[in-house]
Amino acid sequence: MLAYIARRLVWMVFVIFGVMTLTFFISRVIPADPVAAVLPGNAPEEAIQRERERMGLDRPIWVQYGLYINGLLHGDLGTSIRTRQPVLSDLLRYFPATAELAITALVMGTILGVSLGLLSAVRQGKFLDHFGRVFAIWGLSMPAFFTGLMLIILFSHTLHWLPQLGQMPAYLRRPPRVTGFLILDTMIAGNWSLVWTEIKHLILPAFTLGWLSTASIVRITRSSLLEVLPEEYIKTARMKGLRESVVILKHALKNAMLPTITIIGLRVASLLEGAVLTETVFSWPGLGRYATSSFLAIDFSAVVGVTVFIAFLYSFCNLVVDLIYGYLNPKIRYA
Amino acid sequence: MLKRLILWGAILGLLAVPALGQAIPKDTLVIGADTGIIVDLDPARAYEVFTNTVIEQLYDNLVDFEGTFEVIKPALAESWEASADGMTWTFHLRKGVKFHSGNEVDADAVVFSFTRALALNFAPIWMLDQYVPSADNVKKVDDYTVAITTKVALSEGLMGAIMGVQGICAIIDPAVVEAHKTADDPWAYKWLQFHDAGSGPYELVEWSPNDRVTLEGFDAYWDGAPKTKNIIVIDVPERAQQRLALENGTVDIAWDLLPEAIDELRDRDGFTIYESPGWSIDYLCMNVGKAPFDNPLVRKAVKYAIDYDAIVNGIMKGAAIVGQTFIPVGIPGHLEATPYHKDVEKAKQLLVDAGYPDGFTTQIICQPTSPRKDIATQIQQDLAEVGIKADLVQLISAQMYELYRGQEHYLLVAGWGVDYGHGDSLVKPFAHCCSTGDDAPVRQLAWRNMYSNCELTALVDKTETELDEAKKLEMYEQIQQVILDDGPFAIEFYPLNQIASLDTVKGFVMMNSTSYIELCGVYKE
Repeated sequence: MLAYIARRLVWMVFVIFGVMTLTFFISRVIPADPVAAVLPGNAPEEAIQRERERMGLDRPIWVQYGLYINGLLHGDLGTSIRTRQPVLSDLLRYFPATAELAITALVMGTILGVSLGLLSAVRQGKFLDHFGRVFAIWGLSMPAFFTGLMLIILFSHTLHWLPQLGQMPAYLRRPPRVTGFLILDTMIAGNWSLVWTEIKHLILPAFTLGWLSTASIVRITRSSLLEVLPEEYIKTARMKGLRESVVILKHALKNAMLPTITIIGLRVASLLEGAVLTETVFSWPGLGRYATSSFLAIDFSAVVGVTVFIAFLYSFCNLVVDLIYGYLNPKIRYA
Repeated sequence: MLKRLILWGAILGLLAVPALGQAIPKDTLVIGADTGIIVDLDPARAYEVFTNTVIEQLYDNLVDFEGTFEVIKPALAESWEASADGMTWTFHLRKGVKFHSGNEVDADAVVFSFTRALALNFAPIWMLDQYVPSADNVKKVDDYTVAITTKVALSEGLMGAIMGVQGICAIIDPAVVEAHKTADDPWAYKWLQFHDAGSGPYELVEWSPNDRVTLEGFDAYWDGAPKTKNIIVIDVPERAQQRLALENGTVDIAWDLLPEAIDELRDRDGFTIYESPGWSIDYLCMNVGKAPFDNPLVRKAVKYAIDYDAIVNGIMKGAAIVGQTFIPVGIPGHLEATPYHKDVEKAKQLLVDAGYPDGFTTQIICQPTSPRKDIATQIQQDLAEVGIKADLVQLISAQMYELYRGQEHYLLVAGWGVDYGHGDSLVKPFAHCCSTGDDAPVRQLAWRNMYSNCELTALVDKTETELDEAKKLEMYEQIQQVILDDGPFAIEFYPLNQIASLDTVKGFVMMNSTSYIELCGVYKE
């Protein structure tokens, strides 16, 4: 098991290195001048040249690559052309808000998805099954910016139940930054009434982001359960006189969860991609907004940094999913 | 069943509670804006319009402006005078003015501020160093008097416009910089990216990128304490969201609404709309270095082919005014002339006279965002009507400007923001080019479009040192007339600045440049 993990970690390094190298060269060979994009269109030529030299962009691409690798080995992801901050510190600044949103979205999506999938399978062909299907298709087919705006118009603008933007009311001061996770920092500051307000700020964006995951989870849970339910061991369990809830939750669901876990694992990283649109719609100060601004400004270091970061999360989540397989299905052996 | 109903009722009730407590306090003004443009708050680097709106609240300059920038008013300097040759300007500072730290604003602070900006040498410094090239040009005369020597003689209007440039000409507290400098950062640039060292009406409490800027009123401000204690600018990049937030009362002011939203709110009770022609110009340019745009008749044909009204009323939905000269309304020297309108027959005749009776094929480059891509599409259709077939190529800014600066385009749709409130900031970019090679001293719009006119360039150079402001403005009008008749630009319009607020907000004064809007007089009823 440990050897397997070690081997996977070594492969992960290669994958990330490959992604980094590809992104580095792609971002530098496209015919665009990032300095011209960062400075206003009327900045004079001399100012642009000065910025280019300041950023080291006047050097040959191989020299830039060598310097980047050297920096990377020392834990330096370079400096953002746009923000002038180290990319690593930018990532750490923006990641907590996105993680807060993505984790809540995933938990929400998983609970809702597995429950609805289970009910759809058990009540196959009935109202709940049809509802689950419509719910899933809506979630899969509607882009986040549309769903988000619709939810805002309904729950915020019309019903006034939930706040419409940001992590907290605009007129309140943020608690001192300790972990970067706003809710956690508010708890540390002991401001419990604000915690509840922040949770309410989280509901709409997390639901918007989580809906996409819910949709896949509903469908995969339903079909896996439908495959498992006619199995002999389920009939045996029922014949033994076990309660239906025990049969479904303990015997059927556990075995039907393997494909669902795969989907959940893959969703973790893709939630970060989905966060780009959701964060823009809900004015959420996270990595998605940072990534969008960096891509549009051809901010080389930030683009490579964000890509490497997401590649790392993908690889890491895949590894965790593979390890969970073993727990859920003891027949799986790691070689 | 009853239990379930009670449970759901309780959940919905809990959700509804926050709506009751969401009113913004009266002493706090919340502004919704796209703050993504702010990359740091060090005045030496501030170049973007909205960054400067924040800088305006935090720092003071020696001089300030009223209304349309034609009137220069005292700020940290209560008076000034020029030497007979117009090359030395002496500023007399207001006494007793405090920085946020409590230190006094004096001549040392002024000298230090210019020295720092020139030493850091960030992109916007060209506006200052074109006339004040070195820290040696700024001298302390006594504790409250500073003398600034310029490279060439400057008129009062031009000197005021330069000294009023936000950021690079803002006065900074030397003691605060000293306290936060490090061995590898002697000007405390890293610290000032996120903090302030100014004497403006507001102090910076926090800037959380892509989230919010929090300002708190400075009670000891020399011009009186601000009427609103707190200002919070929250990042709302989505314009539809800004509108919903304003309607909900989540924000008091929405900074970047779409023209459609402005039009709808204009007719509704409870909202106030503020409008003014902005400091920018939208134009189509033609590369004179590439045939057939080297032919003045072809350039004129293009100018007569464009449907300006369709662009202003259809695409811009009224959020712009037709303008065809390169100094926009509200900047001294503006020439009021709009001779071009859509005239297909005239355009076709001009093409015949130019030797292109069957038209020709060319290319239009634009950014892939609205409204520029829509304007380019409209122009493409207009040109097709007169026989010019133009392929439309959409490129992101970084790619487009690479081609533009390389003089590689044929037709290109773009915009230009005014750097400082004087015609001087526009005559050079639009009309100064006597050589299209790398030896040109000014390589801006006329150069990018390879429009070389040495006679006109000589006139532009002459305007720089003309001390008589009236004569200077007359020369600007002459230059604009030449560019209008013969130049490579078909200027389409001047966009309007449009901002909306709840009608409880009072004292908001719009400026031609939104970066100069002062919020210290704004309050809520």
